[in-house]
Amino acid sequence: MMAQTPSRDAQFAAKLALAYGEILDGVRPALQRVSLRLSGKGRGGTLELRNTQTNTTEVWQLDSLRLVPDQARADALVLAHLGSGDARLILRDHDAIRALLEACPGLPNLNGSTGFLPKLIALGAAALAALGAILFVLIPFMADRGTDLIPPSAEVNLGRASFERLATALDLRECKSLAGDAALLQMQTRLTEGLTLPFPLQVRVVDDPAVNAFALPGGQIAINSGLIDAAQTPEEVAAVLAHEIGHVVNRDGTRGMLRSIGSFGIVGLLFGDAVGTSAAAGVAQQMISSSYSREAEIAADAFAHRQMTRAGLPPSALGDMFVRMQAQGLGQDMGVFRSIATHPEFQDRIGAAMAADTGAATGAPVVDAAGWQALQGICG
Amino acid sequence: MSALKTDFGGDRGDLFTLMLRTSFLTVVTFGIYRFWRTTRLRRWYWSSIRPGGVPLEYTGTPQEKLAGFFVAVIVLALYIALFNLAGLFVAFSLSENDLSYLTFAIGSAPLALVPVILAARYRARRYILSRSTWLGIRFGMDGGAWGYAWRACMYWVLTLATLGLLWPLKTFQLEKYLTDRTWYGTARFHQHGSPFMLYLLALPFYVLGAVIVGVIVLIGLETDTVTQGWYALSLPVFAILLLVSGVYFRVASVRAMAGLKELGDGMEFGLEPRTGKLLRIHVFGNLISLILVSFVSPVILGLVVGFLYLIGQVDADAITNTPPNLAGFMAVLTWITVFILYGVFRQVFVTYPTVAHVAETLEVEEPAVLHGIRQRARDNNREAGGFAEALDVGAAF
Repeated sequence: MMAQTPSRDAQFAAKLALAYGEILDGVRPALQRVSLRLSGKGRGGTLELRNTQTNTTEVWQLDSLRLVPDQARADALVLAHLGSGDARLILRDHDAIRALLEACPGLPNLNGSTGFLPKLIALGAAALAALGAILFVLIPFMADRGTDLIPPSAEVNLGRASFERLATALDLRECKSLAGDAALLQMQTRLTEGLTLPFPLQVRVVDDPAVNAFALPGGQIAINSGLIDAAQTPEEVAAVLAHEIGHVVNRDGTRGMLRSIGSFGIVGLLFGDAVGTSAAAGVAQQMISSSYSREAEIAADAFAHRQMTRAGLPPSALGDMFVRMQAQGLGQDMGVFRSIATHPEFQDRIGAAMAADTGAATGAPVVDAAGWQALQGICG
Repeated sequence: MSALKTDFGGDRGDLFTLMLRTSFLTVVTFGIYRFWRTTRLRRWYWSSIRPGGVPLEYTGTPQEKLAGFFVAVIVLALYIALFNLAGLFVAFSLSENDLSYLTFAIGSAPLALVPVILAARYRARRYILSRSTWLGIRFGMDGGAWGYAWRACMYWVLTLATLGLLWPLKTFQLEKYLTDRTWYGTARFHQHGSPFMLYLLALPFYVLGAVIVGVIVLIGLETDTVTQGWYALSLPVFAILLLVSGVYFRVASVRAMAGLKELGDGMEFGLEPRTGKLLRIHVFGNLISLILVSFVSPVILGLVVGFLYLIGQVDADAITNTPPNLAGFMAVLTWITVFILYGVFRQVFVTYPTVAHVAETLEVEEPAVLHGIRQRARDNNREAGGFAEALDVGAAF
């Protein structure tokens, strides 16, 4: 506070207004009446406030005045002064308000400074980086560790229950025939030779026209009849089966579930209700989930290339199958369950399958002509 | 000195402009501007409430809110990630044969946030009080967010377990917890009274609850289907009455407890909101907002399409055979206009009259006590309500 006795000098000849206002000193909860003298204009100008009760005087620099913004009523002007703490000057007299506003052109708002901005941007960038690290490093890492810790037996039971639930929900009929099952088993044996699986495979064909296949936790694999119909050779079906076995070996069903659910609710923190929470957060959540599964798909593809080559079968069959899927334009996302036709990077994946093919596939066909026919007719 | 009355001096039109402008900015900045919107709305509302003719002032800043929010997002993201994964892992290991464990665990995961939400609300209240002044003197609040959170959890469990019989106890104890930690300058608030006084106010609620249970029992005992039908028809009526009596309890308990608050040595208060008035505001305010949105939003869309037509971006054929990018644009525009306008109308027709009504009933008795009160130290409060903002449990503004 700058208390001083009123000094009468030439400046006061230039006084623009003499009026009364009320002051809150920010120390006591009481309105006090002050008489005001305005001298000068803008930088260098001053406002003298003389308390009519205590007869003390304060001088406020005009360029340190700040407007308290967003006042609901225009009948009063509320001013703060940098350096006077919590004190507020309330002006109700219209002439005084006008004179003051003229003397302080471009009177800034209180707390309107942008000096904080670089710090805010840095803090925001740090927050985003930390959030990214949580979503894309910490959660995947913990989900992977968690997957290793979950006993395979729990996953097997869970997978069986998930399949039953899914089959009921989608009204899926499991197709069986003696010769068809034998052909399927033959494929499976050829592709898993020398592998240690976390749990026994449970491969089946379901009656669904969509060109698709999926792996659930616990070794549950289902191939749609539509995929078998679309395939030109049994190797193409085998390639897809190898891809799904890749998911089983990597325990992607469980891993994906842990990842998606681990990240659930985190994106929503960012949006508040500002842009329609659920929509924005839902889209972002979906993007994160699909980024998780993209990784898993590529790993399963690589596994399929390897296993096909090992079994003396052409890895390019996987690429051929992808081309057919693309032509059908099919593939629906089944949430945490992997469905192989979900993702847009098809072209890359087709290229990768073709590149993996060294042309060294010298083995016998994965099943003979009779077996292939039986598999094609498994759903009757 | 006689009691100080409160007047409410905000203009609905000004609020409409402020809310429309700030909501638009909020949407186009993907939500970042909402910290500025909240700050500006609070400033506006505070300055329109004038106990004894002197407006309140809100001194919080958007910058501190945004900073607090960033910190809160990180802490909460870590908490949620760890909790989700740990919970899921345990459930996974437990669900040997059956998926229901897992489904249950996933479904109940949000419960882990309940204590955090309660603490966040306490802290948001503390932040707001520390940024509110009247007569140039700050309000304030002591720490105690976690104490509040576990008490609130406990009272909620007790209330649910006793089918609402402990609701008045919960209401009183939590309000007392908050009030006794609240300050104005150097003076502390005290909540007098006891939970028992609230039971009388909850009587209509309990009577109606008992009536509903009675009717359901009667339906069970009755063999004649026509009589059963008549009994069943009365249920919706009683349900609505039950709802009204619940609202009555909430409003009347605010009234009763406000009358028994004391600031410092002898300053007392009156706060007399009316249940009927608040019910009318909410029913009609929401109705008006819905109706206005459904009229205004199509008009805006029509104007936009008309403008596009005039500048030649859209031809008449587009109406019957809409190209996908135009359809997408219209969908986004519809979403945004409806979203913005509904918020704006609700602010103007529900929140505004509610605040105005409650504020106008506020009376401050024995204002002479003010002479003994001095300013309190600034509460830095770097969190600035960030947790409540991230969890989206803030108030209407």
